[in-house]
Amino acid sequence: MTNISFDNILINFGFGTKEEKKKILSENSEKKIFMDLTCYDPSAFYSEFPQLKGTFAALFCDELKKIEIHFKERDQAVINKLVELGFTPIEISIISCGFVFPRTIVQIINEAYFALDEGVAKKEDINRAMKFGVNYPKGPFEWSEGKEIYVLTLLEELFHKTQDKRYIPSKLLK
Amino acid sequence: MDIKKVVVIGAGTMGSGIAQWFTQQMCSVELVDNSQEQLLKSLQSIHLSWDKLLEKNKLSLEKITEMKRSLFIKSLDEVSKDADLVIEAIIENLDVKKDLFKKLDNHFSSQTILSSNTSSFPIELMATAVSSERKKRFVGLHFFNPATIMKLVEVIKAKDSDERLCQDLYQWFESNDKKPALCKDSPGFIVNRVARNFYGEPLRIVDSDDEFKMKEIDHILREVGGFKMGPFELMDLIGIDVNYSVTCSVWEAYKREPRFAPHALQKQMVEEKRFGRKVKRGFYKYD
Repeated sequence: MTNISFDNILINFGFGTKEEKKKILSENSEKKIFMDLTCYDPSAFYSEFPQLKGTFAALFCDELKKIEIHFKERDQAVINKLVELGFTPIEISIISCGFVFPRTIVQIINEAYFALDEGVAKKEDINRAMKFGVNYPKGPFEWSEGKEIYVLTLLEELFHKTQDKRYIPSKLLK
Repeated sequence: MDIKKVVVIGAGTMGSGIAQWFTQQMCSVELVDNSQEQLLKSLQSIHLSWDKLLEKNKLSLEKITEMKRSLFIKSLDEVSKDADLVIEAIIENLDVKKDLFKKLDNHFSSQTILSSNTSSFPIELMATAVSSERKKRFVGLHFFNPATIMKLVEVIKAKDSDERLCQDLYQWFESNDKKPALCKDSPGFIVNRVARNFYGEPLRIVDSDDEFKMKEIDHILREVGGFKMGPFELMDLIGIDVNYSVTCSVWEAYKREPRFAPHALQKQMVEEKRFGRKVKRGFYKYD
């Protein structure tokens, strides 16, 4: 994880366990904190940590670096800093575990892994089918490459929160 | 493998598109339908599309003249027995398809490849209608709409399909500017299975009939995700009834596996006849 501090603001980037994220929040209670919570439920963090003023989802962003950001308290300085770092923040009002884009694609990725495990097709064929059959910008395995831990963490978080079996991850992700 | 003579059965949207695409690859194509009226309508529409390409200088007059000479409309009894490839694209009714394949098996040469463009039924079930020898030359070829534009063809290998034949078809499509994907005969094949959660998960994020949230999700998935359309606007375009039916069909085929379960809102909308753009009312209003 990386922290960037300026004025009385702390922006926390990167992947960490829930406990690691909470530790940062606890240790910086005097600051306004904006945190990447791609794999978790922001509402649970907001209610526990009043110093958390905004959350964003950057773990799945590609070279365009477009990210969802939710503000409990909007702060233009944070937007400016993210832009300075090369991000394009898209402000959202929906608070959802896994935000919108990560939550949607981890389910697509999970299904692709189930299909792979069942021998339905090879990775390249699944990627190709989704790009050229329904115009997806990337194939499921292109989205997940090197990010399997984020996919797995978010699926487990969604299952933990909802107890819905639709979020049980493919064993290939474990 | 060389495919020169193709028969397409069914002159609906998919059949017409498939026939047009094969003709554009300079194959001789025979388009078949029970309805002469539908055949004429399809032929006229394909010719019109080529005339537009000529106007835009995308194809030469010589090529278009040659293509028009290579596309025929026929009744099933009239089609050439020595076709290289037959593609069935009729209504999604298993019994009707099986009856048709029985006739096709008797009609065509032993070398002819029989295939189905079905998105709903296992290829193996349709192959039960043909001889054991033909089963080796029986595959699924699933095109996407519009077939002249969408690059993907799912090449589906059924239990008895010849492995080499599937590889050859894959190569042939690849060399003719398609993007084939080889897959096993399983419900939804690749796309109709893996794409289900592009609709299912946003529905669960919204979890209510909230147009404001849907608009926001469509915006996020276009802007952040890079999708050409958001899930709600896309479902409205496809048809809520059509999308719900595919979802239910995949869900049932996988023995009601929770990952494929339809959302209650889809069912409610079908009951309320909010079918999407075609009735000007779906997730959004189109007045």
